[in-house]
Amino acid sequence: MSATALPPGFDPAQIPPGLAIAQPMPDVLPPVKPRKGFIGFVRRHPTMAIGGFLLLLMLCIAIFAPYLFTKDPTALAPALRTREPSARWWFGTDMLGRDVYSRVLYGARVSLLVGFSVAILASVIGLFIGIVAGFNRVVDSIVMRVMDGLMSIPSILLAIALMALTRGSVQNVIIAITIADVPRVSRLVRGVVLSLREQPYVEAAVAAGTRTPVIMFKHILPNTLAPLTVQATYVCAAAMITEAILSFIGAGTPPIIPSWGNIMAEGRALWQVKPYIVFFPAIFLSITVLAVNLLGDGLRDAIDPRLAKRL
Amino acid sequence: MWAYIVRRVVATIPVMAIVALFVFSLLYLAPGDPAAVIAGDQATPEDVERIRASLGLDRPFLVRFGEWAFRIVQGDLGVSIFTNLPVVTMIKQRVEPTLSLMVVTLCLALSIAIPMGVIAAWKQGTTIDRIVMGVAVLGFSVPVFVVGYLLAYTFALELDWLPVQGYTPLSEGIPYWLENLILPAVALGGVYIALIARITRASMLEVLSQDYVRTARAKGAGQTSILFVHALKNAAVPIVTVVGIGFAGLIGGAVVTESVFAIPGLGRLTVDAILRRDYPVIQGVVLLFSFVYVIVNLAIDILYTVFDPRIRY
Amino acid sequence: MNRRDVLALGAASAFSAPALAQNAAARTLRFVPQANLANFDPIWGTQYVVRNASVNVWDTLYGVDSDLMPQRQMAEGEEVSSDGLTWTFKLRSGLKFHDNEPVLAKDCVQSLKRWMARDTMGLMIRDLLVDISAVDDRTFKIVLRSPYPKMLYALGKNNSPMAFIMPERIARTDPFQQISEYIGSGPFRFVRNEWVPGAKAVFQKFDGYVPRDEPANWLAGGKRVLIDRLEWTVMPDPATAAAALQSGEVDWWENPLSDLIPVLRRNRNIRTDIADPLGNIGTMRLNHLHPPFNDVRARRALLMAMSQEDYMRAVVGSDDNLWKALPGFFTPGTSLYTEEGGEVLKGPRDLEGAKRLLREAGYTNQPVVVLAAQDQPITKAFGDVTADLLKRLGMNVDFVATDWGTVGQRRAVKAPPAQGGWNIFFSWHAGADCTNPAAYQAIRATGDGAWFGWPNIPEAEAKVAEWYAAPNLDAEKAAIRGLNRASLEHVTYAPTGFFLGYTAWRSNISGIVKAPVPFAWGVSKS
Repeated sequence: MSATALPPGFDPAQIPPGLAIAQPMPDVLPPVKPRKGFIGFVRRHPTMAIGGFLLLLMLCIAIFAPYLFTKDPTALAPALRTREPSARWWFGTDMLGRDVYSRVLYGARVSLLVGFSVAILASVIGLFIGIVAGFNRVVDSIVMRVMDGLMSIPSILLAIALMALTRGSVQNVIIAITIADVPRVSRLVRGVVLSLREQPYVEAAVAAGTRTPVIMFKHILPNTLAPLTVQATYVCAAAMITEAILSFIGAGTPPIIPSWGNIMAEGRALWQVKPYIVFFPAIFLSITVLAVNLLGDGLRDAIDPRLAKRL
Repeated sequence: MWAYIVRRVVATIPVMAIVALFVFSLLYLAPGDPAAVIAGDQATPEDVERIRASLGLDRPFLVRFGEWAFRIVQGDLGVSIFTNLPVVTMIKQRVEPTLSLMVVTLCLALSIAIPMGVIAAWKQGTTIDRIVMGVAVLGFSVPVFVVGYLLAYTFALELDWLPVQGYTPLSEGIPYWLENLILPAVALGGVYIALIARITRASMLEVLSQDYVRTARAKGAGQTSILFVHALKNAAVPIVTVVGIGFAGLIGGAVVTESVFAIPGLGRLTVDAILRRDYPVIQGVVLLFSFVYVIVNLAIDILYTVFDPRIRY
Repeated sequence: MNRRDVLALGAASAFSAPALAQNAAARTLRFVPQANLANFDPIWGTQYVVRNASVNVWDTLYGVDSDLMPQRQMAEGEEVSSDGLTWTFKLRSGLKFHDNEPVLAKDCVQSLKRWMARDTMGLMIRDLLVDISAVDDRTFKIVLRSPYPKMLYALGKNNSPMAFIMPERIARTDPFQQISEYIGSGPFRFVRNEWVPGAKAVFQKFDGYVPRDEPANWLAGGKRVLIDRLEWTVMPDPATAAAALQSGEVDWWENPLSDLIPVLRRNRNIRTDIADPLGNIGTMRLNHLHPPFNDVRARRALLMAMSQEDYMRAVVGSDDNLWKALPGFFTPGTSLYTEEGGEVLKGPRDLEGAKRLLREAGYTNQPVVVLAAQDQPITKAFGDVTADLLKRLGMNVDFVATDWGTVGQRRAVKAPPAQGGWNIFFSWHAGADCTNPAAYQAIRATGDGAWFGWPNIPEAEAKVAEWYAAPNLDAEKAAIRGLNRASLEHVTYAPTGFFLGYTAWRSNISGIVKAPVPFAWGVSKS
C-alpha cells in the first residue's frame, strides 16, 4: 500500500466511495470493521453494486426476452409502420412495422453477447500472447511489433476494415472487435508479467530451477488476473459501443438480427419525426455500458487501489 | 536524449511496415468488386470483366503489394478507382476539416476535462467530485452519434443557435469556421473529456499526496497555485499519455461524427471508400491515420523528457 | 446571357429586390443530390447520379421531351435516306466547348463511337454500322446495313449511358477507362478543382452556351441557366439533409425520405412535390439457373405470395399517393402500360397455394441465398420484406446483408448459390427506362446474354422482336401485352411495385420541373 497522506481532519470512514477512482487505503489508521453481508457489500462498494444490479437486470431482460410480453421482433407489418408508443406498442413500431419494444429487448442479447464474448476472447488471447511475450524475448520482439502495428490502426477503423472482409454476422463482429482489442490487452499483460518477473519470489523460483511453464502458471498467471479482469470490463463496455457504431455505419450485425446498433441505424433517418425509434435502444445501450463501466470501476477499486491510480 | 529520440524514431519504421502490409493484405482479401460498382446496374458480365482487367485487379498479390509499397515510399498513394483522382489529392482536399475538428475537439476537451479532473481531485469525496466523475462515466457510455443527434436537434433545430451541418473553411474567417465545428467537437469530445478528466483526477490525487505539495502548502502557497502550478505540472505525464492514446478514439469517432454533421473530412472519405471498396483510398486513409497516430505518440514519448527530466530510457 | 434571358429572370424574380439578384449567394443554387458523385464519366459509369451531373456539363444531339419523344438539341436537322440506311446530321451553329473550341462533326463521331461500345441501343447500332464519319465541320453521317428506326431515340434517350458529345481528344479514351478531363458543351462548366468526391461538386454557368429558342422541355428545348453557380453537397444522412433544408443551409434536396415530408411541409419556407411522375419500378431478381427458382412453379409461388403493398410501404412509408401495385413490368401512365396476365399479383395473397406450388417444384428446404445491399434504402427495405416473406413460406433463408458493391460482384456469378452464387437480389429501375423494351435490359430474357438472373424465355423474346418490328402504336401495344403476359407467366423477374419519390426545395427557388433528372436549367433563386 502506498503511504497515503490524508488531508487534515480526514476521517476515512467518511470516504464516500461513490465513483471514486483512487480510494486512499487507510492502512496507517485503525482498520474499519467491515460489515458483513449484502448490505455491507453495497455500502462498501456502491459503484460495483449499482453496476452489478443494472447489468444483472439487462442479463435477465436478455435471457427472459421471450416471456416479457414481447412479439416476434422480426415480424413485419408495413401497414402498421411508425406507430407512436402506445398501450399496444409500448415503444412504438419502426419503419417496417416491427415492434420496437420487442426488438429492444431481444437486442439486449446481441449487445451482451458481443460485449461478453469480446471481453472473454480478447482476455484469453491477450493473456496468452502477453505471458508468452513476457517470457520469451524472440517471441516478444516479433509479436509485440505486430501488436504495435495493429495498435497504431485506430481500433474502430481496424474493426470496420475487418468487417469489410467478411459478411456481417454476430460472429464476425465479435472476431473483428476482438482482433482490434487483443493488442491492448496483451500489452497490459506483458507489462504486468515484465514487472512481476523482477519480483523477488519469481527470481527466487527461477534461481531454484523451476521450469518456465510452472512459473508462468503458478506465479505469474494468478497475479495478472486482477488487472486483466478490470481491463476486461472496459473491453466489454467498449465492444458494445463499437458494435453499435459498426451497425450504425452499416458494417456490423446483419440487419435481420435486432441489435441496438441496428435499430438505431434504421431509425436514424427518422430521428426528427420518430425519435423514439432511436431513443429506446440508445437508453438501453447507454445504461448497459454504464453498468459495465461502473462494475469495472468498482472492481478496480476493490481489487487493487494501486492499479486504480495507474489506469 | 538525442540517442533516445533517434531510437524511438527508428522503432516506428517496422511498425509502419507492419501496418502497411496488414492494410494491403486486408483489402486484397476483401470481397466486393469495384468493377461491378463502376459498371453500374445495366452492365453485362463481360463489361464487368473488362473493367476489372483495366483496373489491374486481376494480378497476383505480391506483384500488387510490391508495386504499391514502392509507390508509397515515393509518396504516391495511387489513384482512386472511382474518382480517377490521385489519392493524395483526395486526402489533401479533406485534411483541413478533419484537422480542424480534431484541433477544436482537443482544445475543448483539454479546457473542460483538466479543470474537471483537478476540481474533482481537490474536492475529492464531495458531491462535486461525484458529479464530475458521474458525468465522466456517462461520457464513456453514450455513443457519439446519439450525442450528435441530440446536440443537433437541440442547438441547431430547436434553438437555432448553430448550423446543423457542413464545414466552412478557415479562410472564410474564424467565427464562421468555429460556428460549424462547435457541435461536432462537443459530440466527439465526450469520450475524450471523460477519459482525460478521470486520468487527471487520478494523477492529481497521487501528486497531491507527495511531499513537495505539502511543502508548498506549508510555505503558504495559494490553493490555485498549488493545484495548477505545482501539482498539475507533475501530474502531466500520465495526462499527456492518455491524450495520445485517446487520439485513436478521436480518429475513430471522427468517422461517425463527420457522417452525422456532414463534414467533408477524412472520416467520411473512409466510410465512403469502404462502402464502395475503393481500395487505393482505403489503403491511403488507414495508412495516413495510423501514421499520424504513431507520430503523435512518438511526439508524446519525446515530450516526456521535457515534462519529467527524470525519465531516462 | 441575351436580353430575353434577362427578361425571363426579371419576371421570375419580379417580387424580389433587384439588388438581391446581384448577390452572389442568391445566384448559387445549393443542391443535395441523391448520391455521391464518386466518378464523373457518363459513358464509363452508369449510375443515375453520374448521369444527372453529366446533363449539366455535356450536351446531346437530341433530347427527349416529357413525352419521351426525341427532339433536336445540338442537331439543327437530320436527313435519312429513303432506304433508311444513311443518316446525315447537321449541327446547329454557335456550339462551343468549355475550352472555347467549336463543336465539330469529328467530335460527335468520336463521342458516338465511344458511346456505342457501352450502350445497349448503341451496341445494336454498332452491329448494323457500315460507316460513321464527318462530312464537313458541321455535318456527319451514319451508314447502316439495315434500317434502325429508333436512331433518334437512341441519341436522345435519358437513360444511361446517354449519347453525350465530348471533344474528340477526350472521346478517344477507351470506353472502359475513365476520362480525366471534364469538358463538354453543356450549359454548365464543371469546376474541377472544387470537386471533392463524396462531399461536393460545383458547376459554373457557361457563358458561351447558346440555348435553343424553344422553351425547355426535359432534355429538349432551350437550356437557359438562371443561376451563376450550382453547388452539389453530398449528404449521406437523410436526417442531416432534412435539417439543412429546414435551416436554409441548402436550397434543394433531390430525394427526401417520404417519412420526413410532413415535417418539411410544416416549414413555410419549403415546397415539396413528386420528383418524377414516371417514378421507379422495384425488382426482385430471381436466378433462373439454379434450384429452386430454375423451376417456373417456384418463381410463380413467389408472385402468388408476395404483397406489393408490403414492399412499397417499406420503401415509401405511409403515404398512399406514393405507390401503386404493379401487375406488370411497364411504367404506369405511359403509352405501352398494360396489366395483361397480371392476375397473379392481384387480390388476396395465397400463402398456402404458394407453399403447395413450392412443394410441387421439389423444394426441399435448401438454403435460398438472398443478397440485400444495406447501403441503398430501397434494396434494404426489399431485403427485409423478402426475408419475412420467405420465412412465412417456410423457406430456408440465407440472408446476405452486404453492400451494393458486393451485390454488384456476386450477382454476376453464375455458379450455384452454395459456391458463391445467389438466388435473389434486388434493384430498381427508373420508370423512364421501363417505357419500352429498347432501353429496358431487365425485361430481356435471352438466357446467358440476359441481365443477371439469366432468364431464358423464347416466348418473351419473340414479343420483343415483334415490338421492334411494330409499324404503329397499336401493334406496339399488342406486342407489349404479349410480352407482359409471357414475362409474368415465366416470371422474368418479380416486380415489387411502382413507387414515386418526392423532391423538396426552399420557396425562394422556382422553375423546378417534374422529371427523372433534376434539371438545373430554368431554375432560379430569388
